[in-house]
Amino acid sequence: MIEAFVSGFWQVLAWPAFGYLLIGIAIGFFVGLLPGLGGLATLALMLPFAYAIKAPVEAFCFLLGMLAVVGTTGDITSILFGIPGEGSSAALILDGHPMSKKGEAGRALGAAIMSSVIGAIAGALALVLSIPIMRPLVLLFGSPELFIIAIMGVTFIGTLAGQSLTKGLLAGGIGLMLAAIGMDPQTGALRYTFGLPYLWDRLDLIPVVVGLFAIPEIVNLAVSGTSIAQTRPAKLTGVMEGVKDTFRHFWLVARCSLIGIYFGILPVLGANIAQWIAYGHAVQGLKDKSRAGQGAVEGVLGPGAANNATRGGDLIPTLAFGIPGSGSMALLLGALLIVGLIPGPEMLKQHLDVTFAMVWVLILANLIVAAACFLVLNQLAALTFIRGSLLIPFLLFFVFIGSFTANNSLNDLVVTLIFGVLGYFMVLYGWPRPPLILGLILGKIAENYLWISTSAYGARWLYSPSVLVLIVITILIVAYPTIKERRGRARYERPADTL
Amino acid sequence: MKKTAWVLLFFLWASGLWAQTPFYQGKTMVMIVGTKPGDVYDTYARLLAEHMPRYIPGNPNIIVQNMPGAASLIGANYVYSVAKPDGLTIGAIYPALYFDQLSKKSEVKFDWVKWNWIGSTVKSNHLLYMRADTPYQSIDDVRKASTPPRCGATGTTSTAYYLPKLFEETLGTKFNIVTGYQAGQEVDLAVERGEVQCRAFTIIGYFAREPFVSWRARGFVRVLVQTGAERDERLRDVPTIYELMDRYKATDDARRLAKVMLAAGDFGRPIVAPPGVPADRVNILREAFDKAAKDPQFVADAKKRSLEMDPSSGEELSALAKEVMSAPPEIVAKITGLLGK
Repeated sequence: MIEAFVSGFWQVLAWPAFGYLLIGIAIGFFVGLLPGLGGLATLALMLPFAYAIKAPVEAFCFLLGMLAVVGTTGDITSILFGIPGEGSSAALILDGHPMSKKGEAGRALGAAIMSSVIGAIAGALALVLSIPIMRPLVLLFGSPELFIIAIMGVTFIGTLAGQSLTKGLLAGGIGLMLAAIGMDPQTGALRYTFGLPYLWDRLDLIPVVVGLFAIPEIVNLAVSGTSIAQTRPAKLTGVMEGVKDTFRHFWLVARCSLIGIYFGILPVLGANIAQWIAYGHAVQGLKDKSRAGQGAVEGVLGPGAANNATRGGDLIPTLAFGIPGSGSMALLLGALLIVGLIPGPEMLKQHLDVTFAMVWVLILANLIVAAACFLVLNQLAALTFIRGSLLIPFLLFFVFIGSFTANNSLNDLVVTLIFGVLGYFMVLYGWPRPPLILGLILGKIAENYLWISTSAYGARWLYSPSVLVLIVITILIVAYPTIKERRGRARYERPADTL
Repeated sequence: MKKTAWVLLFFLWASGLWAQTPFYQGKTMVMIVGTKPGDVYDTYARLLAEHMPRYIPGNPNIIVQNMPGAASLIGANYVYSVAKPDGLTIGAIYPALYFDQLSKKSEVKFDWVKWNWIGSTVKSNHLLYMRADTPYQSIDDVRKASTPPRCGATGTTSTAYYLPKLFEETLGTKFNIVTGYQAGQEVDLAVERGEVQCRAFTIIGYFAREPFVSWRARGFVRVLVQTGAERDERLRDVPTIYELMDRYKATDDARRLAKVMLAAGDFGRPIVAPPGVPADRVNILREAFDKAAKDPQFVADAKKRSLEMDPSSGEELSALAKEVMSAPPEIVAKITGLLGK
């Protein structure tokens, strides 16, 4: 095993594999930054080039190298401009962009990148550690568990509500209702589709998120006539401050990495969901809840770590069963097949060194891109001090290209505009937007897995031990703030009693 | 006089040049693919876009544009009713889209019979696999079982949903179909976990991919039935639905139902052009397709991507389309019922 581990390392560093890795990273760097291009679509475009590469290690240095870094550089766009650079970076907007507005872009970027690196390494290590127990690990969680986890996610809505719990809950409810749009998978009934086939596949998350978050920001920028950073702090807080933040909140980063790994293992869910759960978790831990959404660095660290950690988790079902953990993994599998590598259990026996080479690609790609980022971060952060009127045309361009590429449909733009208007008024009247997104994501998952659980197991699934444990955890999460508050009050009152 | 002769000669020459310039020369064609980039439909279409231009006089470029959504209905509607019928736009669509037309969905903007069928790269027959450690060793066991086996599916439009339904109707089996999974691969994982026990999908996939390679090696699943007219040579000991219909004395109505629904497999991976394209251009495209599909380089490239080839011509598909769309109303009503709504 150690031998394979070392051999994998050298295979990645060997020429020309390392050259391909660098090319992959360079492509991934820009794909991540640009909101229009996503990792999945780019992977599809890159496949024909990979077919020309004969050696498997070289091929996935190129492809996995690209995929490993898009999450990291996608975070940058979210923080600076409030536009998600990648679908998996959207949660970074919530606290990252307010930090930019406060003139703390450097700190936010430093925190995002450092947490991304830690997340990626944690994901890679999880992959290594899980090799002996991979198969049982993947089989541990079935549909009933997924349903409870979705419910656990719904309870975060309360946490994300901000000042007004009522508005938060209502926004979450609207999100859950929006999740009902589309063809119902159980009976084939068309719900709220108004004769539009576009709505059969439910609302795509990207146009919704872009509209809800980016459009109001741009309107604001135009109205205020300032730069993105509205206040220039006396002292520019730099990138290093953000790096230090990562280590100040190391356990939060570690926990959110675990969340990411876990969602990576779950088939299909992946980084797009993990980031929101991680954000909810990070914000819930804030002592002063009013900081959430106002530029709390914890809200950057959580999703930053989680979305990168999913990559390692993603590979686990891919390697253990040959069943891809996500859309991009499915494409990667196809590429590996062509270069002569059959993904699946073989990868854990004969080709263990290749598996380790993948682990090294994940780690090296993230270290390299982080190093590259740190060189330019201060310059990137300076973008937030540019006059808004110069930025707006570019931002608008990226907003619409970004949402259009979701389905190559003009309807994507319509959705973006509708949610842009909705988002603007939500900001204006103090309605929190994150609960709506969370409701939209979780509504679908909760509905599907509740149905699967019930039709596969009847009511039996409710008594399975893992489900019971998860229910208890959910109740604890809900009750924890109340308990903490009571205790705090008790401690405060006790001295009074003794008097 | 001499001048006139020169001018005349020039026009003669120019008109001759005009006649010799093929329509497609210097043009760019667009192939609308109704699915997301990277899936099997898309891979076949892109491969065709790469090889077909060699056989079209004038060698146009073919650009692939993905227009995913509603099981390729969006792409099909676009090609049929929005794109200009000039022979420069073709589409790669789902083979089972005619179900939507039969069940009279108002969103359908095409008439299945009126497509200009160009060809299909492969016929895709299906199978139903069952976990080997369940008591259901054969379709007979499923028929007699007191608790029906659980089959996983994504939604009601997927083969994994309508094939077990069709077996219920034609073979007298009963299945508990569990829908709501996000993708076929997730169903496979659920089978591994024991949450569901069976899934219906393509024979091609069963022999091309993991986890099936390892599953077959360790005898994890067993194939109970296949839908081809004849037994697939890799599945010699698995009965076809037609054999089973004979054995269980299926009614004529059931047989007709099976025929109409299983035709989706024969449509395979169809390439279409909208109605109204000039007949000569349709012929050029059909010929180019037929030649490209036999091109050794194309076949080799397909094999490299573990895609099988079993092409059908545009004429064959056209005849098939007429046949399925002439299904009598009682069969259509049955299909609509099977598809859930």
